[in-house]
Amino acid sequence: MSEIIKLEGGTSQGAPCKLHPQSMCPAFGSLRILTRIEGSHPVMATDTGCLYGLTFVTHFYGASKSIVAPTLGTAELMSGEVVEGTRAAINVAAKEPGVRLIPVVSLCVAETAGMPEELLPRTVGDAEVVLVRVPAYAIHSHPEAKDIAVAALLNRLAEREGAVRDKSVALLGEVFPADPLAIDAVLRKMGVSETIFLPGRSLDDFRRVGRAGALAPLHPFYKESMAVARSWGMPIVGGAPVGVSGTSAWLKSVGNSLQLDPALVQQVIDEERAKSQAILDARPLSGRVLVTGYEGTELAYARMLVEAGAEVPYVSTSIGQDPLTLPDEMWLKARGTKEVIYRKALEEDVAAIDRYAPDLVFGTTPLASIAKERGIPAMYFTNQLASRPFFLSSGLAATVDFVAGVLTKGERYRWMQEFFQDA
Amino acid sequence: MPPTIIRDLSDTSGYWAAIWTMCPMPDIHVICDAPVGCFNLVGTAVPDYTDAVPHIENLTPATMTEQEVGGKGTSDKVKWTYDNLAASGVIANKQVIVVSTAESEMIGSDHSSLVTRLGVGTRFYYSNSLSEDEWAGRDRVLRWLWSEYGAPFAGDVAVKPGTVNIIGPTYGCFNAPSELAELRRLIEGAGGHINMVYPYESHLAHTPQLAAGAVNVVLYKEFGTGLANDLGKPVLTAPFGMHDTTEFIRTLGDLLGTRAHADAFIASEKKGTLQAVWDLWRGPQGDWFGTLDVGIVAGLAHTEGLVRFLGDELGMKISFAAARPRRPGDYDNEGIRQHIHRRAPTFIFGSMNERIYLREAGSRHTNFIAAAFPGPAVRRAVGTPYLGYRGCVYLMQEIMNRLYEGLLNFLPVDGAYAAQRNPEAPAPAASTEQNGNMPWSTDARQLLDRELEKLPYLPRISASRQLQMMIEQLARQRGLNEVSAEMVEIGLVQSRQ
Repeated sequence: MSEIIKLEGGTSQGAPCKLHPQSMCPAFGSLRILTRIEGSHPVMATDTGCLYGLTFVTHFYGASKSIVAPTLGTAELMSGEVVEGTRAAINVAAKEPGVRLIPVVSLCVAETAGMPEELLPRTVGDAEVVLVRVPAYAIHSHPEAKDIAVAALLNRLAEREGAVRDKSVALLGEVFPADPLAIDAVLRKMGVSETIFLPGRSLDDFRRVGRAGALAPLHPFYKESMAVARSWGMPIVGGAPVGVSGTSAWLKSVGNSLQLDPALVQQVIDEERAKSQAILDARPLSGRVLVTGYEGTELAYARMLVEAGAEVPYVSTSIGQDPLTLPDEMWLKARGTKEVIYRKALEEDVAAIDRYAPDLVFGTTPLASIAKERGIPAMYFTNQLASRPFFLSSGLAATVDFVAGVLTKGERYRWMQEFFQDA
Repeated sequence: MPPTIIRDLSDTSGYWAAIWTMCPMPDIHVICDAPVGCFNLVGTAVPDYTDAVPHIENLTPATMTEQEVGGKGTSDKVKWTYDNLAASGVIANKQVIVVSTAESEMIGSDHSSLVTRLGVGTRFYYSNSLSEDEWAGRDRVLRWLWSEYGAPFAGDVAVKPGTVNIIGPTYGCFNAPSELAELRRLIEGAGGHINMVYPYESHLAHTPQLAAGAVNVVLYKEFGTGLANDLGKPVLTAPFGMHDTTEFIRTLGDLLGTRAHADAFIASEKKGTLQAVWDLWRGPQGDWFGTLDVGIVAGLAHTEGLVRFLGDELGMKISFAAARPRRPGDYDNEGIRQHIHRRAPTFIFGSMNERIYLREAGSRHTNFIAAAFPGPAVRRAVGTPYLGYRGCVYLMQEIMNRLYEGLLNFLPVDGAYAAQRNPEAPAPAASTEQNGNMPWSTDARQLLDRELEKLPYLPRISASRQLQMMIEQLARQRGLNEVSAEMVEIGLVQSRQ
């Protein structure tokens, strides 16, 4: 369980008060991952309001998957029927065709009432039953709940017996579907034998990862999952193949971790660098951009935009500060970024709009709407930026091209604002 | 007895009911005693997709963390939140209401005495989120708002003859802008004037003025009757279908003393709005309705209203109708799911859940039309009501266009274009040389017939020919002289991919 974090910290003189924290319900992060796996039929242990909201967003952003839950109202919670009800729901989920995994997603009220793991079955028929504890009051952001879910699956499923496939690498992080193909192609050119991308649709990938040669988390919030890999003695590759410098450094780390032929690695690095540089030379960005999503990936996006020529004075995210976020934070601050805010609140992002008068804002839906009310081009980070190819030169091309296009749209945003300002 | 099992919950809790009922009124500010998730889901993530609003602005969480849950309690956090909201100026001239959530109720937070030490007028609303569903919840919130902010100040509010209150919608009510616009049009057509639309278009400060309405109309009969009864004036519910709408206009005319006006409106509607229904009924379109079956899952008003118009008036066969909240005998989601898996009707009016069950069943031939939450839908245009006279026209139009869409998808297209796009694909069955019909074993024929029986009538005609040709092609490729049951099974699997 994560440590206790004071959310309202940093209310020093002049700083805006953190009244409206910005994250999806944290548990959503775990549900998104758990519902997308083939053969996975989640059970949610929670109250009805929570169940309604989380299934609503999961059925929209996760998967078209039916979800069962025990009724946990006052009567059931107070009479200690949480476990009994959850077990009954597990038995219902176990009847689904092709069931192989039943994640038990335990949420605020169930965690408060108590959900002792030893009272749940470990398996039902052929299905593994895996408890995933994601009370919103303790996790704080939905990216971090993705980590909790992945770590729980790795702990249960990863197969450690047998020879390590020492030239293989497991990549960790939800990415656009084109990215794994691009990353796999480049890594194979360097001599990597195979790649495994987590978390995806296949439960077997969670089994296979136990014998991978290295683990490469592509996002900076997979703390618990990395701890699992470390406990196996598996090498961890830091960073991510983002932009020109990030990609070079990352490819080099992969090469070092897997002890690939340095000359071959350097050759691939040079090719990728040349491609990326050509893209940036052809269409450099110009403009001031705020990168303020809540996906936990904002620092990497900011880094790419800065490399492409944009000015990014302010970056904020829902996740907490961590050694994993430090390299990008330092890189950004050395290149003109004035503020990097963790566990951000709406007030901080709004103040940043006031302070920096940006040309473009990528933010949460409330923030994007506030920017648009001021005639500033703005988009929902999650839907528009975090859902495109991003990694290596191909991802750089797609993302920079998109941002460059949006930066030319200012007139339309101003026109809309002028039209509606007296409404 | 072990707890009952919920599948894909349709009805949210009393906490959501409280937020969605209070927050449409701009002079309220709600502090929810909530973890970040209960704030985000209710205030942003879901209303983005139910009401198409960027976020609910007059809602702030007293964000609960492990410290508060672990024994500290939430009072300090609520006070901190209140003080900072006050300092920021956001709550000046507003009534602040602190609302409990499932988790705050779980740890026993009760702020009824704390609120007396906050700003004047601040109140605590216990949303009873661990026990109450959204329908009972909305009903109780509306009554609470009246008893706290209305009745005590309504003593000298005189009834304004000829005026009508509309009770509902709140946030999170399906198709609210269109239903409201049509209901308003019907009321005005009957000779009435709108006094208040509560809470959707009201201010909390105007709550006492509810007493001025001569008649109260409940828009969504699943909630709001409690407040309507408390107001002590005649109560009507919003009408669906031509018969009930006509009755509604006449009754309202009688209540308001504008019967002649109401009758004239009905007469002009028959020549105007409803002429489309009469034309469609007399045209080739009208013939279809009696041949179509429909499943309905929606809020109580929409379920009963759709049954009334589609079933009683147009003659569609009602395959199932399940209201939310459920009436005795209504399917729960498990029952709906099994019914859809067994045999999906030609049309389903429903929510995201029914959509999922259709996808599980591979029912590509069923037309899904949104009629309820949960599920993302933009319904902000005011021209798509299901109730009233315009609702009759809109529903007929929507159903016919879906039928056309299905028919167009089944008309044959020359197979050469598919071959051009994908040279690897096997040649279409119709273009092969041996195109004569093959003999079918009895087993094979029965298996295909059973499968076709599951399809709605219209697509069955085309699907039967397509499937037959495809299965015969498979049999030929394997050098068989007769179609076996095994070939049908393989063909059916392929056709679902």
